[in-house]
Amino acid sequence: MRSKPESQTFTASMEPLSSGSVDPIFHLLRIVPFSFLRPPKLRLKLPTLTLPSPMTVYALVLLTYFMVVSGIVYDVIVEPPGIGSTQDRATGSVRPVVFLPGRVNGQYIVEGLSSGFMFVLGGVGIILMDLALDRNRARSVKVSYATAGISFVVIAYVMSMLFIRIKIPAYLS
Amino acid sequence: MVGKAEPVNGSVKSGSNQSIPATMQSPLKKSDLIPNLSLKTLKLKTKQQELLIRVSILCLVYVLAFITRLFSVLRYESMIHEFDPYFNYRTTLFLTEKGFYEFWNWFDSESWYPLGRIIGGTLYPGLMVTAAIIYWLLRFLRFAIHIREVCVLTAPFFASNTTLVAYFFGKEVWDSGAGLVAAALIAICPGYISRSVAGSYDNEGVAIFALLLTFYLFVKAVNTGSLAWALASAFAYFYMVSAWGGYVFIINLIPLYVLVLLITGRYSMRLYVAYNSMYVLGMLLAMQIRFVGFQHVQSGEHMAAMGVFFLLQVFFFLDWVKHLLSDTKLFQAFLRITVTTAIGVGAIALGVGMASGYISPWTGRFYSLLDPTYAKDHIPIIASVSEHQPTAWSSFMFDFHILLFLFPAVCLISAIAVSATIKNLTLVARAKSKVTQTGSVRGSSSSKGSSKASLDQSQPFQRNGAIALLLGAFYLLSKYATHCTWVTSEAYSSPSIVLAARGAHGNRVIFDDYREAYFWLRKNTPPDAKVMSWWDYGYQITAMGNRTVIVDNNTWNNTHIATVGRAMSSYEDEAYEIMRSLDVDYVLVVFGGVTGYSSDDINKFLWMVRIGGGVFPVIKEPDYLVNGEYRVDKGAAPKMLNCLMYKLSYYRFGELTTEYGKPPGYDRARGVEIGNKDIKLEYLEEAFTTSNWIVRIYKVKPPNNRW
Repeated sequence: MRSKPESQTFTASMEPLSSGSVDPIFHLLRIVPFSFLRPPKLRLKLPTLTLPSPMTVYALVLLTYFMVVSGIVYDVIVEPPGIGSTQDRATGSVRPVVFLPGRVNGQYIVEGLSSGFMFVLGGVGIILMDLALDRNRARSVKVSYATAGISFVVIAYVMSMLFIRIKIPAYLS
Repeated sequence: MVGKAEPVNGSVKSGSNQSIPATMQSPLKKSDLIPNLSLKTLKLKTKQQELLIRVSILCLVYVLAFITRLFSVLRYESMIHEFDPYFNYRTTLFLTEKGFYEFWNWFDSESWYPLGRIIGGTLYPGLMVTAAIIYWLLRFLRFAIHIREVCVLTAPFFASNTTLVAYFFGKEVWDSGAGLVAAALIAICPGYISRSVAGSYDNEGVAIFALLLTFYLFVKAVNTGSLAWALASAFAYFYMVSAWGGYVFIINLIPLYVLVLLITGRYSMRLYVAYNSMYVLGMLLAMQIRFVGFQHVQSGEHMAAMGVFFLLQVFFFLDWVKHLLSDTKLFQAFLRITVTTAIGVGAIALGVGMASGYISPWTGRFYSLLDPTYAKDHIPIIASVSEHQPTAWSSFMFDFHILLFLFPAVCLISAIAVSATIKNLTLVARAKSKVTQTGSVRGSSSSKGSSKASLDQSQPFQRNGAIALLLGAFYLLSKYATHCTWVTSEAYSSPSIVLAARGAHGNRVIFDDYREAYFWLRKNTPPDAKVMSWWDYGYQITAMGNRTVIVDNNTWNNTHIATVGRAMSSYEDEAYEIMRSLDVDYVLVVFGGVTGYSSDDINKFLWMVRIGGGVFPVIKEPDYLVNGEYRVDKGAAPKMLNCLMYKLSYYRFGELTTEYGKPPGYDRARGVEIGNKDIKLEYLEEAFTTSNWIVRIYKVKPPNNRW
């Protein structure tokens, strides 16, 4: 692994290297300024680079996926309003409209975020279902994972279908 | 069932041998012509049964991928769709007629008048050469087939091949079950279908096959470390480069994959062999395509691959030195020096290359990946292409359906999720039945049976739950299949050149105006006539109308397009000057006011203004808008009401009644009555208007005689 030898070299460089280094610049520096200058005793430590844990990486990937699928690129370019509004003809009051009607390739910001959340929920549900089948857990934990997983997938699928039917009334007809 | 057949075959073998002659005798007595075709009498072993199932599933998936793309061929006819495929068709026709050398050195003076276009050096030949090879092969086998049929059906054929590659890829990464699911999912995925439907003779149809093939061969090369697979992936990469400009994503994704492997500590000799062979040979082969040229060493977008190449050499060198040295402390010092030197030299080389201009910076198309708003502000012609529009959530849902749920479950390969889940669930479902089987047949395994039984007793509903979940998974997959077929049929099977709508009584009305207009151009204009239109229609006019155009879909010259945009947005006399300078004989506009067709030139007009205004500051977008709003009715801006595009679209339209109960001159696409009904043309005259007024052609009058 690349990172481990680096940390060892950094701790090794703290002590004076009397065993003979091959580095010519080190020897040059030892003679020219540092034979009469005394470097102060610092307690600095160079930061060690460690690879993040798999769960951190996975959480980042899930977050990025959520942002992409919510249509954040569309939001940045087209800058739609957060939520749409329509005026009620009879009373004149302004009613909010959540889903941009009529087009598949347009959205409001809140609409995109809620749909993206449903997709991520469905994915998390499948993962929970898979975790529930693992044998090395307590039974109560497995049951709760399984129920949560199934309910997440069902809710996510039903809500996604509902959203797409609101947006495209002619879906699957 | 497969699970149950095993103990039957294993324990009752003698019985089955004896039973066969008995069962064979009775059908022979009944009838000699009807063979007894049960699997038991065929005596297939489990492995052969499994192979049969796998092969039959793959065959079904292959056929499915082909036939789901045939909607438009069945509804309309076998024709080329859209705009870009017409250029590809014209070049393939030229290739089959004149041969490869003429094709490779072709300079076309019939487009981009008066500049011309070096077609041989500015296209990706993979698609055309593939279709020509299939055509010549079929001709050699004496199938008298027209090149158009081959072109229309190339994309579905390669989509079927992609499912095979997906199967092998899934098998390589996980196991054959995942491979089968991957093949099935990719066969009907709407996102892929939209670019590879029959008639869509475009680069992506072939390129997606080449892409998946390159990835599969490279992963296989990394897993086996064999030079043969690495060279095969280099040739697949060459095919990819020859097929599509999107090969740049491959040359960046594969180094990214190698980089992730290096970071997570998976460097090995296999990786070294695979990437080196693939990079060097792939780069040399890619330079054979004239359009790509020396970009692999000169362009900033390709530098990542080179960087990773040198990084791999550094890794190998350090590994070798570590192997030679026995002193670890010495090696640490050497490691530090080498890493610093390598990074320093690399950075200096990159800096010198970019500063001296040898390495070009990222082009606008790829810079938009870093900054999505770049194209909108700086390059309107990239922003105006409909395929470059940003994606809203509903487009994702439309194109991927439940694959969106499966993606987070296992990053990037949803087939693994489905296959693993289904496998786990079927194992659980079959565990109980297996326990009872082994418990009853073999008494010696009673201890094993009892332990399994105890597990089952602790979760009595596990089997039922597993079956319920299996049914749920199958329900989701069936909904996916329904969705994909519906989307393909409704949204992605339209040829775009033939329009369809529902009539008043629910019958289907077909508008074939485009082809009517191009055929009129082909038959009623002099052969050297030059046609000016917006760049969308250039390829179609050249391919079907067989006339010279001023600008076409290649959009390689922004100033030329801006000149046309300026002409369309100016008053008639200024536009006449520009048209005389370009030798234009005919002007073609697309108008949707009578049919309600919304992709016409008036709706695209603001892009013409923006692109023209980008080069000629005399065209200003606010001149055409009223309070920031784009209108064509009485309240429209005066410049809008008198510009050339408005006049050509609405000439004689003010006398026409389009809808019952509305005044004459009612524009059905915009939903308003037009502002300027009394239009008089001074320098042009109307030559042809199609039956539904969709395409209108005007002739540019020669200058007046002075005496």
